[in-house]
Amino acid sequence: MVVTLARLLGDGETVFHGVASPLPMVATLLAKRLHAPDLVYLSIGGGVDPDPVRLPVSTVDPALLHGTRALVTLTDLFDLAARGRLDVAFLGGVQIDGSGRINMSLIGDPARPKVRLPGGAGSAALMPVARRTILWRTKHDPRTFVERLDFVTAAGNVAHVITPLCLFARREGRLVVESVHPGVDPDALRAATGFPLAVDSGTPVTQAPTAAELGALAQIDSDHVRVSEFERATGGG
Amino acid sequence: MRDKRTSLEAAIAAVPDGARLALGGNTLHRGPGAAVHELVRQGRRGLEIVKTAGAYDIDLLCGVGAAATVSAGFVGFETAFGLAPSYRRAVEGGRVEAREHACYTVIAGLRAAIQGVPFMPVAGLTGSDLPAARGFRRLGDPYGGGEVVVIPALVPDVAIVHVQEADAIGNARIVGTRFEDVLMVQAARRVILTAERIVDGAGFEAAPETVAIAGFMVDAVVEAPGGAWPFGCAGLYDFDTEYLAAYVAASRAEETLLRFVRERILDDAAAMVLA
Repeated sequence: MVVTLARLLGDGETVFHGVASPLPMVATLLAKRLHAPDLVYLSIGGGVDPDPVRLPVSTVDPALLHGTRALVTLTDLFDLAARGRLDVAFLGGVQIDGSGRINMSLIGDPARPKVRLPGGAGSAALMPVARRTILWRTKHDPRTFVERLDFVTAAGNVAHVITPLCLFARREGRLVVESVHPGVDPDALRAATGFPLAVDSGTPVTQAPTAAELGALAQIDSDHVRVSEFERATGGG
Repeated sequence: MRDKRTSLEAAIAAVPDGARLALGGNTLHRGPGAAVHELVRQGRRGLEIVKTAGAYDIDLLCGVGAAATVSAGFVGFETAFGLAPSYRRAVEGGRVEAREHACYTVIAGLRAAIQGVPFMPVAGLTGSDLPAARGFRRLGDPYGGGEVVVIPALVPDVAIVHVQEADAIGNARIVGTRFEDVLMVQAARRVILTAERIVDGAGFEAAPETVAIAGFMVDAVVEAPGGAWPFGCAGLYDFDTEYLAAYVAASRAEETLLRFVRERILDDAAAMVLA
C-alpha cells in the first residue's frame, strides 16, 4: 500500500498530511527518497521537508521537525490549500462511498449517533480546495466502502483511494478500480465493497514493489511504524 | 508590569463552570496536562472545550463529566492508542454535545474573535454535511464573487496553554510547533499559562522575536515543571506511552475510568468529591 501511495506523488509537488497518518508519512518520505526529491513535504506540525531520525507513531510529533529549515503553522497550511496552492492532501475515511466522499464523523442517526467517530480533522476544508486528495484506508470491507454514508464529513477533489485490496481512481465522479493488488481475487474485492464495481480477471494488477522500493522502505520505516495503522485504524487527516 | 505568578489551584479556580475553554497543544503534544488534572480535581462542570485536535484532555474531561460540549475537528489518540473511549461514550450517551469542526473552522472562529468581527469567511466545505449540522451560513460576496461559508466568532472565556518558558508577567517561548496556541491567547477573554520554568524576562530582550506570547495578553502564570504530562513537551519529554496506554484501556468503561482517575489523578480529598 505504502509503495503504491508513494508512486502517486510527483516530483515538485506540495504534499500535506495531518494527524493519525503514518502511511502517508512513510509514503511521502519514500517518494522523496525514490523519484521525487523536490517534493515539498508538509505536515500538521508545520515542519517543511523534515528528515526524521526515527519515525514517530504520532504524525504530529516533534520528530517530524527534525531537519526542518523552516516552520509554518497549521493556519498557514490551510491558507495555502485555500488559495489553491496545495497539490496533494492525504485524508482518511472510516466510511467511503462510490463517489469518493468520506465519513469520519458518526455512524447512525446524526442527532443521537450509535458510534461517535473522531471527526474529519481538516478534511471538509481541504478536500474541495486541494488540487487532489488521496484517500487511504487500511480496512477494505462492506462497512467501510458503502453505498450511502451516514454523514458526509467531506467531499471534493479525490483522485485516488488506496486500500489493502486495490487502488481506486475517481473518474467522472465515481470510484473505479484502477488496479487490483497481487493475489486479490476480483470476486473477493466485489464482495468486500458495498457499491457496484467493474472488476474482472482483465483488470490490471498493481505492480508489486521493486527491490529498490522495498530497500528504501526498510531504511525509512525500520521500526515498522506503519503497522500501527493496521492495528488501530482510527482514520486520520 | 505586575507579577502574574500564582498557584495552579488558584489559576484554575478562576475558570467558572460552563466556561468556553480553549486548550493548547494538539493530539498527544503539549496539552496542558496539569491544568486539566486540576480542573478534574476541582470538579468543574459544563465546560465547552475548544481545540482543533484533542486526545487525553478532551477524553478525560468528558469521562468525568466536566465537559458538556466539545468544539473540535478531531478527538482521538491517533494510531498510537486509537479512539477516545470516554468521549465516544459521553457523546453516544447524550451527555456531551459533539460540535464537530473542520479544524480550519476552529481557526476561522478564533480569527474572527481575534479581529473583533462577527464571522470569518472560509474556503472549502462544499459538499460536506458539516455546515448544515453546525449552522454555518453562506453569504454572497458583496463585491460580485460567489458564495462563501462564514464561521461565527469563537471567543473562549479562558485559554490554557502550556509553554516551555515564561517570565513572571507572561512573556512566553514555545519550543517547536506552536499549534493554535497563539491564536487562542489572542482570542480568549482570559489567559492562563503553565510553564515548565519561570525565567527572568530580561533574557528575552536579546531575541524578542523568539517570544511567541506577549505577556500583556496573559492573566496568570503558573510554574509547572512537567506540566504537559502525560502529553509530550517538545525538547523536554515525549508523551507517556505507558500511562496513556493504561489510561485508554481504563477509559473503555466508566467504572474502570473512574477507578483510574481516583487512583492515579486525584488526591484523597478530591477522590471523595468524585465519588
